[in-house]
Amino acid sequence: MQYELKTQVIEPQRQTFTHIAKRYGDKPASRYIEGSIDVQPKEHFQYRPTWDPTREIYDDSYSVFRLTDAYSYLDPRQYYYAPYVTARSGHHEAFATSLEYIEARGLLERLPDGWRSVLAELVLPLRHLESAGQLILCGMARFGWGATVTQSAAYSAFDRVGNAQVLSRVGIALGGGTTDLLAEAKEHWLHDAPLQGLRRMAEETIVETDWGLALLRLDAVDRLVYDLLYQHLDDEAVVSGAPAYSLVAQHMASWFADNRRWIDALYTAWREDPELGATNAALLAEHGAAAVDTALEVVTPFAARIDELLGGSSAVDRITTTAAEVRAAHTGAAA
Amino acid sequence: MTLAPENKTKKAKKLSMKARYEALTRGLDWEPSYVEKDEMFPHLDYEGIKIHDWAAWEDPFRLTIDAYCKYQAEKDKRLYAVLDGFAQGQGHLGLTDASYLNAMKIFIQGVTPLEYGAHRHFAYLARHFAGPGPRFAALCQSIDEIRHMQTEIHTLSNYNKYYSGFHNWPEEYDRVWYLSVPKSFFEDALSCGPFEFLIAVGFSFEYLLTNLLFVPFMSGSSFNGDLPTMTFGFSAQSDESRHMTLGLEAIKFLLEQDEANVPIVQGWIDKWFWRSYRVTALVAQMLDYMLPRKVMSWKESFELYFEEQMLGGLFEDLAFYGITPPRHVEDAIKEKEILSHQVYWTLYQFSFAAAFTTSAPSDEHMDWLSQAYPDTFDTHYRPLWEKEKKNIEAGGRHFAPGLPQLCQVCQVPMLFTEPGDATTFAQRESEFEGEIYHTCSNGCQWIFEREPEKYRQAWLPVHQIYQGNCGGPTVPEVLEWYGLQDGDAGEYIGSRDHRNWQAWQGEAAADTATPDETKAGA
Repeated sequence: MQYELKTQVIEPQRQTFTHIAKRYGDKPASRYIEGSIDVQPKEHFQYRPTWDPTREIYDDSYSVFRLTDAYSYLDPRQYYYAPYVTARSGHHEAFATSLEYIEARGLLERLPDGWRSVLAELVLPLRHLESAGQLILCGMARFGWGATVTQSAAYSAFDRVGNAQVLSRVGIALGGGTTDLLAEAKEHWLHDAPLQGLRRMAEETIVETDWGLALLRLDAVDRLVYDLLYQHLDDEAVVSGAPAYSLVAQHMASWFADNRRWIDALYTAWREDPELGATNAALLAEHGAAAVDTALEVVTPFAARIDELLGGSSAVDRITTTAAEVRAAHTGAAA
Repeated sequence: MTLAPENKTKKAKKLSMKARYEALTRGLDWEPSYVEKDEMFPHLDYEGIKIHDWAAWEDPFRLTIDAYCKYQAEKDKRLYAVLDGFAQGQGHLGLTDASYLNAMKIFIQGVTPLEYGAHRHFAYLARHFAGPGPRFAALCQSIDEIRHMQTEIHTLSNYNKYYSGFHNWPEEYDRVWYLSVPKSFFEDALSCGPFEFLIAVGFSFEYLLTNLLFVPFMSGSSFNGDLPTMTFGFSAQSDESRHMTLGLEAIKFLLEQDEANVPIVQGWIDKWFWRSYRVTALVAQMLDYMLPRKVMSWKESFELYFEEQMLGGLFEDLAFYGITPPRHVEDAIKEKEILSHQVYWTLYQFSFAAAFTTSAPSDEHMDWLSQAYPDTFDTHYRPLWEKEKKNIEAGGRHFAPGLPQLCQVCQVPMLFTEPGDATTFAQRESEFEGEIYHTCSNGCQWIFEREPEKYRQAWLPVHQIYQGNCGGPTVPEVLEWYGLQDGDAGEYIGSRDHRNWQAWQGEAAADTATPDETKAGA
């Protein structure tokens, strides 16, 4: 049964804002759309930036990758602020529950030695790589062109801080409630041979002023590292008695899958641009392939060290295969 | 063995909240060795600011990412529930009057884009500061500003469906003459170096003048039945208090790092006080003329939020560092009795080219103004409105012919008078490389002459119209280029919003008069 409320019926004058109606017709628009489309000022900039007088305050020349219409890129997750923080609130709560369980069951103390070393020597230092990701994505959030792409970058930058904190909390737990292992992890990051390629790549990508190229490089490294650590090693952990590792890995893996969605959508928008598509595809092939090649080069010593510590985990094989797949996706060739 | 954090007999291993927070946020930086540090942070030297120890930055809030997300998600859930309920129940019919929405039109056109700019440029600070503490604080503020932009859009989206003037705000921000006041202000900040931006927006805008800029809009909403905007205002409050604390921390940090920073910061305070203050001209007229139900006068607001809280409180604290109250503050104080009247009188005459409407104040409204401004209203402004009343009775509501000349710096029409003399128009001239530039006040002239190479670049909407860059030489062509629709501009009485409002209120009254037997409850 239904009851009827009587309300005053008033005909709306319009269903949405003019700039939204021009694109999609005058019909009710989602909050993502109204809160994102066309909100970046685009003309009549008053003054040249003192930090770069050759450009405008917002300028589409900060990357070789351009879109005829910046808003042909939409975040497939439709993240505006509210759903973004809501999703991340759930994510961090789920991680906290896992960590409580891990601590309650003493699972970190029961990690086999090789796994403990992988975490302490190789995984914890990557909190610094997350920190590099934060810088790279903040640069993109500032210098990108169009509010949909910069919004995705800003959330992703914020995510990197969250990832670093997840790793740090694992490090504190693994260190028996102290920050000793975090301090050691920093030394590993600064000095250990298996991490130096990654650190070099991180530093060089931070100073890359083309945000599109920087994103490609960060993404290439992420795809090798996240797949290796949180997919491949997750499986290994399950079969080799390292449940603590697996319980942590699931959260990093789910974040990564979520994060890749906006990046893939951006690559697609670049490729499918009605005017610049061919140029963008050629740029993706060239710079994407170079980024993957560099990534493979810098992640290989890292993976080799994992193989050493775990006594043969096919880590190097795994990244080599992944790199070939990613490379093929960029160049459009069969893997 | 399991870890047992509650086990008190164990050695005190558990980290304190502060140590834990620092471990999570601070230890992440490292000295680069594959690239130069200057290459990584290339914008930190050119403003002359010296930072010796980035680690001395005190985080005012120890917010970890999980806590931030949880707290913000809960706030948004509550806010959006209010917005949905208000929309569903046609809550807009409960406003004091449709004319109230003129204040909100100015808000979405002129303030919401500033939130967006703040988002982008706090991301710049989050990239370019060499310390992880201030970088993280800036990143939080960057995404907070997305929140404010979007919650403002979503709050006002429902009004856009029923009322004029809201529908084309992003394009208007880039094009319309009075919106170049906030636009040029914010782009001035965006084009500064990182430290000046921090003082301009983090300190001057978010701290020094935030109560003058935002509180009048939010209080106006609560006095005029605008539940969504009021709820937005409350919901933004805890973010704003974080931003204010950041602004205060920022200025103390710069001042404590090196004595040589003090005169540089003082110059920025002087500049940005006046720059921000001129933007409040739009708020002043809103407060005194656009709210059907008044909150407080501009003068009261200025005395409470600026003279008492800032000059009386903040600047006494800052004196410790050798900071003095902003240059030209005396001129601003002298203006408090006349500012809103002069600005509204101008907007009233030029609202044929605006995305809001204006109307002459009623007798009751004028009596309130006389009370609020006993020394100036009856002497200088009531006579103008009394004369205008006769014009209206004779069918000749006054609109100005042509377009106003704008100040080269603040871009407000040249409507201001000499400090302490409400009858003599102020006009300042400066020469730079053979060209004459006009400014509206001592403050704007001083700002111009400090950086003439910047302000001569200004995109002055009225100049641009005369140069034919704004859709064409005639007013209708310009208005079309602004994207204005019938009902957006001009006089409120008889406007589309006014007519609709009367019709809707009439229907509502008719509904109440006829008891309905098909009511719920069956």
